[in-house]
Amino acid sequence: MVYTPIEKLAQATPQPMAQKVRGLSDRAIAWIFVAPSIFLLLAVNIFPLIWTIRLSFTNFKVNRANRDIEFIGLRNYERILTDSDIWMTMQATAHFLIWTIVLQVLIGFALAYLINMKFKGNDLWTTIIVLPMMLSPAVVGNFWTFLYQPQIGLFNYVVTFFTGGDPSSFSMIGDVHLAPWAIVIADTWMWTPFVMLICLAGLRSIPDSIYEAAECDRASKWRQFWTITVPMVLPFLMLAVLFRGIENFKMFDLVVQLTGGGPGNTTTLTSIDLKREAFEKWRTGYSSAYAVILFVTVFGLASIYVKALNKVKER
Amino acid sequence: MAEVELRNISKSFDGVFALNNVSMTIPDGAFVVLLGPTGAGKTTTLRMVSGLDKPDRGDVLVNGHSLAGLTPAQRNVAMVFQQYSLYPHLTVYENLAFPLRSPLLKTSEEDIKVKVSRVAETLQIAHKLDNKATALSGGEMQRVSIGRALVRSPELYLMDEPLSSLDAKLRADLRIELKSIQADSGATVLYVTHDQIEAMTMATHVGVLNEGKLIQFGSPREIYEDPVDIYAASRLGQPRINILPADLFGHAPTGATSIGLRPEQIHQGEGQESLVTRVEHLGDQTRLHLSLKDHDLTTVTDAHTQLAAGDIVRISPQNPFFFDAAGDRIH
Ligand SMILES: Nc1ncnc2c1ncn2[C@@H]1O[C@H](COP(=O)(O)OP(=O)(O)OP(=O)(O)O)[C@@H](O)[C@H]1O
Ligand SMILES: [Mg+2]
Repeated sequence: MVYTPIEKLAQATPQPMAQKVRGLSDRAIAWIFVAPSIFLLLAVNIFPLIWTIRLSFTNFKVNRANRDIEFIGLRNYERILTDSDIWMTMQATAHFLIWTIVLQVLIGFALAYLINMKFKGNDLWTTIIVLPMMLSPAVVGNFWTFLYQPQIGLFNYVVTFFTGGDPSSFSMIGDVHLAPWAIVIADTWMWTPFVMLICLAGLRSIPDSIYEAAECDRASKWRQFWTITVPMVLPFLMLAVLFRGIENFKMFDLVVQLTGGGPGNTTTLTSIDLKREAFEKWRTGYSSAYAVILFVTVFGLASIYVKALNKVKER
Repeated sequence: MAEVELRNISKSFDGVFALNNVSMTIPDGAFVVLLGPTGAGKTTTLRMVSGLDKPDRGDVLVNGHSLAGLTPAQRNVAMVFQQYSLYPHLTVYENLAFPLRSPLLKTSEEDIKVKVSRVAETLQIAHKLDNKATALSGGEMQRVSIGRALVRSPELYLMDEPLSSLDAKLRADLRIELKSIQADSGATVLYVTHDQIEAMTMATHVGVLNEGKLIQFGSPREIYEDPVDIYAASRLGQPRINILPADLFGHAPTGATSIGLRPEQIHQGEGQESLVTRVEHLGDQTRLHLSLKDHDLTTVTDAHTQLAAGDIVRISPQNPFFFDAAGDRIH
């Protein structure tokens, strides 16, 4: 009798153990393998979620844990949805989300398109462009505060080099109108390379022969771009948007480091606001309701988006 | 109207010649079949004409005008790619309509519809028009790829093994369709194939390529009946020509080292004794595998022959080809 390597391995398994495993059905074995992950998922994701939902109907304060917990129904939700300050943070978040995505997609795609043209040293350029992504957000936030410094900052200097005027005449971080743009610019600087990499993967997935066919079919470069390049990169681009959208919805570190949510509340994104409610004001019940609202919003938007993404992929 | 001339075309990749000083003149309306083993430079030849690649040296001329510097779009050639190169994100219909949507053609949606369905009908893919190009079998993809060339009416078609993935029946159907489309339109066709039936039935001219060199260029009959060397002689003919030592049957011209015998050049009934080693009944013909002084040869005989393995047949050459040591033909 000739044994395959796998059969030999099976024979090497101690007899009682082998028998025990053999006694189990495939289904049981499958359960044994997934059980640890399921347990972990329940413990760190599902249970806290359910607990949060429960807390969101109470006036619980974690720093007064001994106080009686009172169920107050939808009062927390009511207060949040009618609070104009929270709508301000929502607006700040939307502004941040929309502009970072628009800029990163446009610049990222353009960079990928340029890098994808076969020229000497494009690998080196890719490495250089990707560097910002590898830094820690806290570090990035910290050194952009220096760049934005009105007196000594490089940013103000470069801008006024082109527009004229005095570098110290404006402060990106101190001005209520400029601060929302300050965080958009810093985040775009940091994360455009990520979008570029994904677009580059998309562009590289298009074989040259398809462009050659289009060339023979007498399609101009312009038409090739719109009928071949864009539709074939679109699924990749949408994936990048999904990643960036989710990441930036929960943006915290970079903005806290850069503006701390100010001036006023102009750059207080929902995640920053939520952290303040939960761990500075200790309004646990209230902030639980807040978290649930954010969760539903992200979850809803993401599912709609993923549906759209799948449709694009199927096309 | 397209008379195509390739003038001293050379192209090398990484120092190795893919095409080495190839010249041929293709008359207007000709159907040229390029024959050659894999790596011979057939695809490269088509790419030179289409403008997808530039020759290192030499020139392609159409009606006497050089095409140097013109893009494929400006050359107005339609190409069927060996690897299909369909647009994977588009449906079959959109793939076929793609060339027609070129602003250079200004075709109305109505006309596009008519042309696409006519071509789809011809290629027997009308029922697949709504499929995505990736949801097709290899043979279907290949037909879409042919269709993409046929929807337009260029002066010059370049087809790279367009029927290679089709079954025998479809291949026979499309051979006739392609030939009649070409005859009706009067277009010039450059056609690559490994299939010698295609070469013999469709071609007005055959170009035999080997290792980047054009060995012979002429009508299929010419190549078959008057090959310039062993290589060209073995491209056409089924079963293949038998190449044997020149003196096997006695007298040989001076300088000849081998004798080439096609089945019809082997006279059965008199001459040397040879042993039948195998008999293959193919239906319309029967192949005899013979052994003569330790040399194997293949010939055909009567479909209903009584011969069987172990029998003795007498054979002698009849107007054979002789080749010298370099493989060139001796007259
Ligand atoms: N882009 C390329 N880069 C490097 N070498 C190439 C390239 N294209 C073709 N070649 C080489 O040129 C030679 C001719 O190739 P070609 O594609 O013309 O062969 P072919 O006759 O079409 O063969 P087949 O019947 O297999 O399609 C081959 O040796 C091939 O390796
Ligand atoms: Mg080829």
